Amino acid sequence: MADPVTVATATTRREAGRPVILAMQVGFFVLSMVGWELMSSTGLLDVFFFSKPSLIAVRMWDWLSSGFIYEHLFTTLIEALLAFIIGTVLGVIFGLTFARVRLLAAVFNPYIRVFNALPRVILAPIFLLWFGLGIASKVALGVTLVFMVVFFNTYQGIREVNPVLLNNVRMLQASQRQLLRYVYLPSAMTWIFSSLHTSIGFALVAAVVGEYLGSARGVGFVVAQAEGVFDTTGVFAGLILTSVVVLGIDLLIERLENYLLRWRPGG
Amino acid sequence: MTPAVSFDAVTIRLPTSDGGALTVATNLSLDIAEGHFVAIVGPSGCGKSTLLNLAAGLLFAPEGKVRIFGDELGGINQHAAYLFQQDALLPWRTIIDNVLLGPLIRGRSHAEAEPEARHWLQRVGLAGFEMQFPHQLSGGMRKRAALAQSWIVDPRILLMDEPFSALDVQTRQIMETELLGLWAETRKTVLFVTHDLEEAIALADEVVVLSARPARIKGVYPVDLPRPRDVAEIRMIPEFNTLYNKIWADLRVEVGAAAHG
Ligand SMILES: Nc1ncnc2c1ncn2[C@@H]1O[C@H](COP(=O)(O)OP(=O)(O)OP(=O)(O)O)[C@@H](O)[C@H]1O
Ligand SMILES: [Mg+2]
Repeated sequence: MADPVTVATATTRREAGRPVILAMQVGFFVLSMVGWELMSSTGLLDVFFFSKPSLIAVRMWDWLSSGFIYEHLFTTLIEALLAFIIGTVLGVIFGLTFARVRLLAAVFNPYIRVFNALPRVILAPIFLLWFGLGIASKVALGVTLVFMVVFFNTYQGIREVNPVLLNNVRMLQASQRQLLRYVYLPSAMTWIFSSLHTSIGFALVAAVVGEYLGSARGVGFVVAQAEGVFDTTGVFAGLILTSVVVLGIDLLIERLENYLLRWRPGG
Repeated sequence: MTPAVSFDAVTIRLPTSDGGALTVATNLSLDIAEGHFVAIVGPSGCGKSTLLNLAAGLLFAPEGKVRIFGDELGGINQHAAYLFQQDALLPWRTIIDNVLLGPLIRGRSHAEAEPEARHWLQRVGLAGFEMQFPHQLSGGMRKRAALAQSWIVDPRILLMDEPFSALDVQTRQIMETELLGLWAETRKTVLFVTHDLEEAIALADEVVVLSARPARIKGVYPVDLPRPRDVAEIRMIPEFNTLYNKIWADLRVEVGAAAHG
């Protein structure tokens, strides 16, 4: 039995701790921005190479207020989203099939390992050749990245299903399809969800890298353009924008995950 | 009358992790008559759960035969519901969704099965916990939810593996009474594994004592105590004690054998 006094102090302490930690986090941010600003202003850092927080903030405000960036942001997000959806669907289907059909897994095991060991960003130039400068090449790159993550997690999730749960639902006279629906898929869901954070990040990385290497639109394209004219401020503004977007999406996924996995102890 | 469950000279060997085989039962024969309440006792690790798995069709013994109502068992036993020794509720479904899973699998709609599931949850004393997830319940409450899950499908055979061992004495007696009531109403065949000899005698028509591994039938003791029984009071009558001492003398040897390897 938990002692109510201990529980109470533990809660109070956590509640007292949270604002303090938040204050320290904000403090760290302000301090590093001020430090960067000062070092750039006093010439300790070369503004040409390192830009300045104030310049970057102004640039981002320009992009947002003029509406220049929206088209690019939209393109990048669409590419990432498509890659994410296609990669996830393929990953789940293949993960499921490989986990259920042992022969397939045995035969293809070495090939999957080789493909997984390959630094897949290398495929970007090939996809540019195959699919052109439009969004298809970026989506293709993203799919290869997302697929592998989801595939492995689905495979693992299906293989690690608790045999007692399986036997229980079997005894309730479930067919193979019903086992899939009531046991295998929900059980794999935990694994798939834990991979979503990684795979959405990969999808965005693939989109930006693809755009950077060759495109006429997208955040990666904006960064490449800025780099082409030695506009460090533009490069930083593009990077920060991308990070903020990824962070926002990540928070949304976390919300969704917390809701869908609310059955987990301590969840 | 053909027995509900019949083990005919089964030998069970389970593969071990070092590539060998563990002999859990040798040449074991046992008939369970339809409508009987049969308790199985034996030392820990002797093969009681394995025997239930065999009757459930989850395990297949190449040597010997298992027959259910006379038919040789080839796959999952269609007539049985199984209450597992371990936690077997689906952790991602609420308690009520777990209970109505059986009807759902049999093609009934969620809306149709829900009132029935509520009824069964009430019978096991879990009204008000319908929307909780299994991890929010205590171990004993989860066991009771599992009871509702196996009873709702109205099976002809109930396989129960130490269903009440996680419950406190009082809840345990309530659940035992419920089980006896249900059994009296429907005359299901019950295979009830327990390590509690008192419980076995209080509930069953017959107590089967298994030997230490490899399991053989050490003895089958008919329990000729009057029914309907009050699970608390029946322990007080002299015949209960006589029977207890007789079976325990038999069981003690086996528990000792199991404990000393
Ligand atoms: N899947 C398995 N593979 C190999 N050996 C197993 C397996 N399951 C159980 N065993 C072994 O088989 C023997 C019988 O196990 P079983 O679970 O039937 O015992 P039990 O009588 O139910 O014990 P308890 O009363 O402790 O539940 C044990 O010695 C155990 O180590
Ligand atoms: Mg057991």
